Amino acid sequence: MHLLEVANLGKRFGGLTAVNNVNFHIDEGEMVGIIGPNGAGKTTLFNLLSGFLKPDSGSVKFKGEDIIGLPPHKIVNKGLARTFQVVRPFHHLPVIANVMVALKSPRGARKIEWLKTMERKAADLLEDVGLSELMLEPAENVGHGDLKRLEIAKALATEPDLLLLDEPFGGLNPLEVDFLTKSIMRMHLDEPRRGVIIVEHKLYALMKLVKRVIVFHKGEKLTEGTPEEIANNKKVIEVYMGGPFKHA
Amino acid sequence: MVLSYFRRAYSSFAAHVFDIPPRFMVLLFLVLLSIVPLTGLGTYYLNIIVSANVLAIFAVSWDLLVGRTGQISLGHALFFGIGGYTSAFLFKFYGLPIWLTIPAAIATGGLISLLLGFPALRVKGPYLALITMAFPLIIQNLFDWPPLTAIFGGRYGIRPLPAFFPFLPVTQQIIAHYYLTLFLLLMSSVIIYKIANSKTGIVFVSILDDETASKACGINITKYKLLAFTISGLFGSLAGSLQAHLLKVANPPMFSLTWSFAPIIVTFLGGIGTIYGPIVGAYIYYILDRYVLTIFIPNLFELFGYTITGELEFTKLLIFALIVLILVIKWPRGVAKYTTDKLEDLEEARDLDERGPRIWKRYPKKDT
Repeated sequence: MHLLEVANLGKRFGGLTAVNNVNFHIDEGEMVGIIGPNGAGKTTLFNLLSGFLKPDSGSVKFKGEDIIGLPPHKIVNKGLARTFQVVRPFHHLPVIANVMVALKSPRGARKIEWLKTMERKAADLLEDVGLSELMLEPAENVGHGDLKRLEIAKALATEPDLLLLDEPFGGLNPLEVDFLTKSIMRMHLDEPRRGVIIVEHKLYALMKLVKRVIVFHKGEKLTEGTPEEIANNKKVIEVYMGGPFKHA
Repeated sequence: MVLSYFRRAYSSFAAHVFDIPPRFMVLLFLVLLSIVPLTGLGTYYLNIIVSANVLAIFAVSWDLLVGRTGQISLGHALFFGIGGYTSAFLFKFYGLPIWLTIPAAIATGGLISLLLGFPALRVKGPYLALITMAFPLIIQNLFDWPPLTAIFGGRYGIRPLPAFFPFLPVTQQIIAHYYLTLFLLLMSSVIIYKIANSKTGIVFVSILDDETASKACGINITKYKLLAFTISGLFGSLAGSLQAHLLKVANPPMFSLTWSFAPIIVTFLGGIGTIYGPIVGAYIYYILDRYVLTIFIPNLFELFGYTITGELEFTKLLIFALIVLILVIKWPRGVAKYTTDKLEDLEEARDLDERGPRIWKRYPKKDT
């Protein structure tokens, strides 16, 4: 059984077909990249998987269960978490409270105890992504690069079995990209059974991380393969760089 | 020269006062408030504080809903009126005693606000504000409607309602009211403050900031929005029920815009989203309204030989609006919030001072 199975998934916005007949699957512990030019339907795919949009056709099976039609919070509680391309912090809350929102409250424990355990858990998660120093800072004072990491900490706090990262490196400088790559690697080693899907445009960072890449083009799956295969695939280069140069 | 002396004196005073932990400050205020009636203050002045206490309960409930959860309600008078009318109703038709009508009023208010929460799931922001504003106005007209006078008492409302302490003499009653409302204000604000600072409170703020992101964090925002509405309605109707029993009447103006906007003004005066802000704001509001503008200013004019009788009534509202405007412009985050921010700045600066670099030079270290 695959962790996530997507079959014949389709979504139209009026006359525009955003996602068309997409099939793929993710296994436990796999890290998969999704690439494709702008408007290829990558973010729509994430919205479909995480329940923010309802597909017109097809099925999504997560851990063998059909998750289509479930509201987003139920999907998250089943173990499928996502981050957003544009950071969405809770501005009024300190960084640690941002993470605490996403933590599940353990049942049965005494109240004061669980507040403390939650705080400890949140602090641990922030340490993993390297935000310990900004723990008590209100999120509105935190810079963009740190917010990107906070997004990941928030998604991790829901204890996902499958993590969808939507452009985690967007708007980061090379140093920050390097740091984040390392923390994603570490996170993957800590929880080797967790599946991760990364949508990214910064191919040099993505190709180092993932074992398998799926290429999207105009809402359809163009091809998939190992990073080397994809890098040498003529069709992919054509899609990314435009068609073969023609003389007038 | 003299000024700088005063400034330095104030600074050293402040440095010592602000060393006191907040818990102790709260206790100090409580002790101060609880000895107020013993100073022999007149009934008029005590009544001001009683009204302020009731408004404070009401405004705190508004603050939890709007300041913390972001569900803008311009029709909080609905809960106020529902609370008052439920009490009055149960007394008029079933003759229930006061200690039963108030819990019943609270329960009804909670139920009604739960129902009102459902439109909030569909609409957001200004649209929600307009919808909530409509409800109390509709009900006000319904209760005012002449054919229903037999049930709702029409324009004059349901009266007279039983007093809280009918066995006491009148002057003692007011002191008893004072302690009762103070106690209830303390209870409800502590409960709301605890809720606002628990995990539930954090989730409320996350809904205020970004609904989509809190969904992505696995939050069932439907549940939490309804919860916020219900809690707010519970305490809002408690305030309404208290008001009805204090004034011994439940009438249609309890649903009026005045009561919808009073908690908003008060909360903005004190500081929105702080929970303690509305309490400060309620006191400022009533002291301005009932003391400064009704007694202090006319007396001041009388000192200079002018007598003001009717004129001030008309300009009162204007002066009041002006004062509120100045307060809000000077301290846009609220008077109480401004003060606590200042305190935090001081504390932070002192921490820096102790750590090493002399960034904060105003309070030199004590020689040890």
